[in-house]
Amino acid sequence: MVLDAEHVRFVEGAVSIIVAARDAANAPELVRAQGCRVSRDRGRVQLFVQSAQAQALFDDLRRNGRLAVVFTSPSTHRSLQLKGDDASIARARPADLARVAAYRAAMVAELGRIGISEALARALLAGDDATLSVVAFTPAAAFVQTPGPDAGRPLGAAP
Amino acid sequence: MNLDAIRDCLDGSIPGVMATCAPDGTPNVAYLSQIEYLDGSHLALSFQFFNKTRHNILANPQARLLLIHPQTAAMYRLSLRYLRTETEGPLFERMRAKLAGIASHVGMSEVFRLKGSDVYHVQAIEQVPGRPLPPSPPRRNLLAAVRHGTQRLAAAADLESLLEAMLASLREDFEVRHAMVLLLDGGGRKLFTVASCGYEQSGIGSEIPLGEGVIGVAAREGTPIRIAHMTSEYAYGRAIREAVAQGDEADRLETAIPPPGLAESRSQLAVPISAGRRLLGVLYVESPQDLRFGYDDEDALVTLAAQLGLAINLFRDAAESAAEPAPAQQRRRRVAGPTVTVRHYAENDSVFFGDDYLIKGVAGAILWALLRDHEAGRSSFANRELRLDPRIRLPDISDNLEARLILLQWRLLEREACVRIEKTGRGRFRLCVERPLQLVDVPAGTRP
Repeated sequence: MVLDAEHVRFVEGAVSIIVAARDAANAPELVRAQGCRVSRDRGRVQLFVQSAQAQALFDDLRRNGRLAVVFTSPSTHRSLQLKGDDASIARARPADLARVAAYRAAMVAELGRIGISEALARALLAGDDATLSVVAFTPAAAFVQTPGPDAGRPLGAAP
Repeated sequence: MNLDAIRDCLDGSIPGVMATCAPDGTPNVAYLSQIEYLDGSHLALSFQFFNKTRHNILANPQARLLLIHPQTAAMYRLSLRYLRTETEGPLFERMRAKLAGIASHVGMSEVFRLKGSDVYHVQAIEQVPGRPLPPSPPRRNLLAAVRHGTQRLAAAADLESLLEAMLASLREDFEVRHAMVLLLDGGGRKLFTVASCGYEQSGIGSEIPLGEGVIGVAAREGTPIRIAHMTSEYAYGRAIREAVAQGDEADRLETAIPPPGLAESRSQLAVPISAGRRLLGVLYVESPQDLRFGYDDEDALVTLAAQLGLAINLFRDAAESAAEPAPAQQRRRRVAGPTVTVRHYAENDSVFFGDDYLIKGVAGAILWALLRDHEAGRSSFANRELRLDPRIRLPDISDNLEARLILLQWRLLEREACVRIEKTGRGRFRLCVERPLQLVDVPAGTRP
């Protein structure tokens, strides 16, 4: 098990989420996600992504399933990176939309703490929820990514 | 799309994120602490740690960057290709100075150290579909401000009015409240403040060593340095305060005129002033606001500083080849009041009125020569003869004598000394003495 309960609280909280993939030529691609849900057994992670923003990334994931996701707290810079190689893409369900709405509200509050206006935060997280997608994967590895010399250290390894 | 159209995204208020990929096909994504705009198709990223991103770009130079516009939240994706790493020179120094600002802003001064500047080619820029806010109108049109500032500079008739025009333009055209102009000592090792605005103490005559702080580094590297957040590491007063705290008497004199500056400076921009390839000085502006100066402000001030440099050069030559006839020697005014003892220490050319320190160095030597000549009955002088005067020992032929006289004139006014310098024409001035003076020469070997 890669994630513990505290990690789950962190990645499901008010954190910026960036998803990266790569194509057959190892050229990378990335997009901002709009919330996260971890399965009860902590074995599966779902990310909510605006389809219009992620066509190239979805193509890459459909071909090779490999991804990296960084979760970062805007106010503390604490950061966690997960990697996986079995990503799949599905359409969002109604329960997911409620999740995304809650994520936006939490992020507006969090970004407000570092001086970003509500209008700017809402614009950053705006999207067409009718075409929202869910990227799901099994976290195979996790890394500390908080800026500094420890960035990149695998979770559980001594600092 | 050209990179300069979206360079506000690089200012660091919302950090950029970069994806890379290892040779084995494992993607990686990381936040960037610093992105530096180079030109329409190049940017540089700070290399601070041997992390995954670093390993990846050395093995696979392809990268993808996600940027957010700080005012509209528009997102852009850039395809990058890693080219090279620079570990010295203007780009590196500029980034190092900025990184110090960023690091102190996030409380990581000890952790953030620049190892290199990674230069990337921007191969493509794509706007990510979304619903950004409409852009708000800029605070003011900087191109119009530059035009107006240029006209002010062009109207100046001599160095003094040129410096006044520069400061007036900063205040009125750019709404910059705190600024100073420093010129390079002919010896090329330090800068001295010749004009300032917005400070309680003008600091005119204060000195900053080359390489010290934002101003000294901008001068040494010949590159503008812009810091968006407060930084202690590059505080130009730091070394000076330390010297005051621990130095001996000689060091104390170095610092007798503290440099002006905001205690709580949160944005700083130092722009070298040059004529051709020759460095003449530094134009420095600061603000108590974070993120006060952007790329466009930097462009604007670099443009004005270029014109300032050419004009300074022109006036320097003109003042000393001035052919205006010397004005008729006026009757010297009667002096009254108790005698003031003026001491000159040959050791460092420092001059004291009574116990009050006035000035040292080249300006001190000039003042002493003027006072000696005045004692012998003269009161009118020409810049040209001062340059040739063996008592003054200008550090270099290129030294700006006019600037020394301006700072001397200011110091005398500020200290309310009983001696004044009055301009009487191009390249000419008069020394006015209001009290009887007793001049005392203290030979070398005796420190003040």
